[in-house]
Amino acid sequence: MQRKGAVVAVIKKSSSHPCRDDAANLSLKALTAAALILPGLFQSTAHAAEEDSIDFQYSHYQEGKREGINRLMTNSVTGISSKYAIPNNRNPIEVDSLHGSARITLTDRIKFAFNYTEDTWSGATPIGSAPEQSNANSVKGTTFRDDGTPILTGASPYATTTTYLDIKGNPLYQVFDPSTGQASYRKDRTMHVMSYASPETRKQGDFKLGYEWDKATLNIGGGISLERDYESRFVNLGGRMDFNHKQTTVNLGLSYTNSDINAVLDPVGFGYFHNSTDTQHKDLIDTNPITNRHTLSSNRQDWATHLNLTQVINKDALLELGMGYTRSTGFLENPYKISWFFGVDPATQPFGLPDGVIFASGRPFMEQRPDVRNQWNWTARWVQYMESMDAALHLDYQFAHDDWGINAHTFAADWVQSLGDGWSVTPRVRYYSQEAADFYKSSFSVSASPDPITYIIQYALPDNFSSDQRLSGYGALSGGLTVSKQFVKGIGLEAGFEYYTHQSGLKLSGGGEQAFADFDYWVANAALKVNLSALGQGVSGGSYSHASHDDHPAIPAGVLFAHTLNKADDTMIGYRYMHNQQVGDFLHGDKAVSEQQILANGCPESTRYDADGTLHFDGGCSLLFRDMTMSMHMLEFMYAPTDWLTLMLMPQFMDMKMDLYQPSNLIDPSAHTFGHTTHGHEAGGIGDTGMYALVKLFDTPQHHIHASIGVSVPTGDVGIKLKERTKDLDSAYIHYGMQLGSGIWDFKPSLTYTGKANEWSWGVQVGGTKRLENSNKSGYALGDLFDTSIWGGYDLTHWLSATVRATYTWQGSIKGRYARSTHKDNQLPTCNIADFTYADVVDPYTGDPITQIYLHQAEYNTCLAIIENAKRQNDANDRPSPADAPSNYGGHYVDIGFGLSATVPSGSLAGNKLSFEWLQPVYTNVNGYQLDRDGALSFTWSYGF
Amino acid sequence: MALSKPFLGLSICLTLLCLVACAPVQPWERGNLAKPQMALDPYPLQSSLRAHNYGSREAAAGGNAAQGGGCGCY
Repeated sequence: MQRKGAVVAVIKKSSSHPCRDDAANLSLKALTAAALILPGLFQSTAHAAEEDSIDFQYSHYQEGKREGINRLMTNSVTGISSKYAIPNNRNPIEVDSLHGSARITLTDRIKFAFNYTEDTWSGATPIGSAPEQSNANSVKGTTFRDDGTPILTGASPYATTTTYLDIKGNPLYQVFDPSTGQASYRKDRTMHVMSYASPETRKQGDFKLGYEWDKATLNIGGGISLERDYESRFVNLGGRMDFNHKQTTVNLGLSYTNSDINAVLDPVGFGYFHNSTDTQHKDLIDTNPITNRHTLSSNRQDWATHLNLTQVINKDALLELGMGYTRSTGFLENPYKISWFFGVDPATQPFGLPDGVIFASGRPFMEQRPDVRNQWNWTARWVQYMESMDAALHLDYQFAHDDWGINAHTFAADWVQSLGDGWSVTPRVRYYSQEAADFYKSSFSVSASPDPITYIIQYALPDNFSSDQRLSGYGALSGGLTVSKQFVKGIGLEAGFEYYTHQSGLKLSGGGEQAFADFDYWVANAALKVNLSALGQGVSGGSYSHASHDDHPAIPAGVLFAHTLNKADDTMIGYRYMHNQQVGDFLHGDKAVSEQQILANGCPESTRYDADGTLHFDGGCSLLFRDMTMSMHMLEFMYAPTDWLTLMLMPQFMDMKMDLYQPSNLIDPSAHTFGHTTHGHEAGGIGDTGMYALVKLFDTPQHHIHASIGVSVPTGDVGIKLKERTKDLDSAYIHYGMQLGSGIWDFKPSLTYTGKANEWSWGVQVGGTKRLENSNKSGYALGDLFDTSIWGGYDLTHWLSATVRATYTWQGSIKGRYARSTHKDNQLPTCNIADFTYADVVDPYTGDPITQIYLHQAEYNTCLAIIENAKRQNDANDRPSPADAPSNYGGHYVDIGFGLSATVPSGSLAGNKLSFEWLQPVYTNVNGYQLDRDGALSFTWSYGF
Repeated sequence: MALSKPFLGLSICLTLLCLVACAPVQPWERGNLAKPQMALDPYPLQSSLRAHNYGSREAAAGGNAAQGGGCGCY
């Protein structure tokens, strides 16, 4: 309303000072008067009004597979060497992200914004690069077929290695010709050394508080980003000033970030790149003497400032110019990136090498970067309105320069095409090119000589070096499309797709890294935008939104499916958050058990050794956990096609975290265990998606009964695996409770009764989950579930009510089990019938059989039994903790819940409902052995219109 | 910092040129400029996502490097 007032004032002002061409101006004014009511018109042009809104966005980032490695292998029969492809079966990096944000007007001039972001990523990524035929990518357990061809199963990184170099330091490899007995040397190429990482989650929360004057805005903000190995806190200050009748806008920003790094170094690699004679980052690495775990701890700080100027050029064009400066200090390395150094010792060259061929021994080192980086960037953006097409062309250019030697150019063009009826489509293209950092190389050759006392080769390391592809020279081309639809009611949907290709050959003016570094990715995202201000002007009158507690019973936040929409064409959107934790004692039934008891009996899928060394498959644990937390973010979309039916769609996003430990008496400090033992596990991403129909059965002002039937669609991943414990392939499944869904279609019925009389309200609900199949793709099915709740509520005021709830839940144990993982099968011996088919007596001189040749069945069976036993043992080793046993899931649970429920009674946020509930366990009786439960928190926000 | 001076100079020149040369655009002539497609950043949710992806894969810092975003160490 105030905005309209401002419009009128401006028009009056301009009519009191008429321009020379009065008539034209007046008619123009008349024609444009309506347009002036457009939101944002009287904000400074380029910074449209940020209205109260709630946004959600999901995105999926998927990298393509990197080029595979071909290793020179010798045929065991013919002696001829040729190249064989190593199977590249690791999944590349993928990232799932969820973003939620809210912008709220606190007073007329004070705005508050809050953002929450959660990313979960996993997959294989380069840790460095080295010549293809060096042993930096060592071949795992090679076996040969009968014709002598090798069977390759995978590569594992880190090994120390050797290579040959030419005079210029380019890698060569040796090929031995069995017919001539001569070796020749051919040019080798560089390839990535890949490592796989188990899922990891990052969470970030940040806020912005702004004060608006008529011609200026001041913002302060801050936030925190949490990862297992990286924690950063940041603050920022920003200001905007409008000049020249809002035709010119200046933005100034300053931000400061302080980040702590706590990286657990891979113990497998650590053995190679760290020893007592040369310790890199010595003061930063701490080794735990009991777990043999190496943690690198350090800090970095980033200061950034930018200045942008936006100018209205004419009624159809805008120009923005900007510049920025960022200064970073501290530990600027990526603690997981490694460079291979090939050391040349002229004194110890092998005899008989041809001229121009040099022998070098290689070792990986952790990368070293300067402790300071100064970056500058300049941006220019032109935005042009195309009257004839009702579209806008955005052209962007950025130049970035830093004191590490990197210059980068970015060109981007967007065409924002309005299609009418709220639709718009935006194709986009972007080109990026950067030069390499001064200290970047894919691998390094240096002089090296043995220490005169220890004989360990000492490498002459430069001060700074890195083989991180991000610091290499390359170009990148990306293109994408965004489609958005604005609905009349203030709801907007947005979907986007982008494909990105990083190619050395695309570098501006050439000279980029070799083609091995090329990769591509795609990102798809979908967003829901809810404009609360627009909803408040509700087209349909919003019978639900403006309903207060006077006519709706209070429902605890933790109860789903407990209300229907009032009448046909009502819509509701909502967000639901649930958090629960398992922590405390281990329980068996409803009794706490000691660590000794759980270690002896808690893992029926695992193995146990007797004092005499006999192996038993009957339930010893080698790994326990202290706590497990789970968070779920759910969106609710409800729509009533008729008065008696409400349809509901409920996508979910979830993340889990578990802290594991090895009981101290079981720790073997010499063992390089990794995957399960060194730290906790994390998992996250899209969960199962619910689709429900709620049918009113009985509806009076005081009493209401409805049934809900629906299914949960198995959109959540149930195939998440961990990094292997000793080497570097993906392998065992993560614990059942940390998969993101059920993996099968679930039937979910419920029946709800609610009542309301004066300030009092009450309700009862029974519901359940029936798994519709016996096993998912990973080989198991979660247990069926039954739950019932009874609650009462009291309206404390007309906008706030309190609830108390009692709930009983039963869940069955898991049926089936994870399929056996075959990742170690290549290390097992093979039983060939041919090897067991022979004659008992042979001629000692010729080797010819004298007695009959036959299959020695008993020996063959013994061989088979040994393999079966080894497979069983490997399988049991993949299930070391109580959470790996299907029988340790489910149980009987009783809880009491205390909740508050509020409906915003007035103002621009009127009609928004918020509720909280804390659920406190009072009785827990678990199947098998499980960790006790702590409370659960539920929070919901909903808005109907 | 050999490169920054010409760019800074260019920026100032362009700005001054514009301040002098651009015809004043009256408020009632700004209907096109107020259209959603003319916003400097028409899709802020997506652009922060893209900036995060570029930032974890490219060496050049965007306009606002120090705004969180985590390590991006993959």
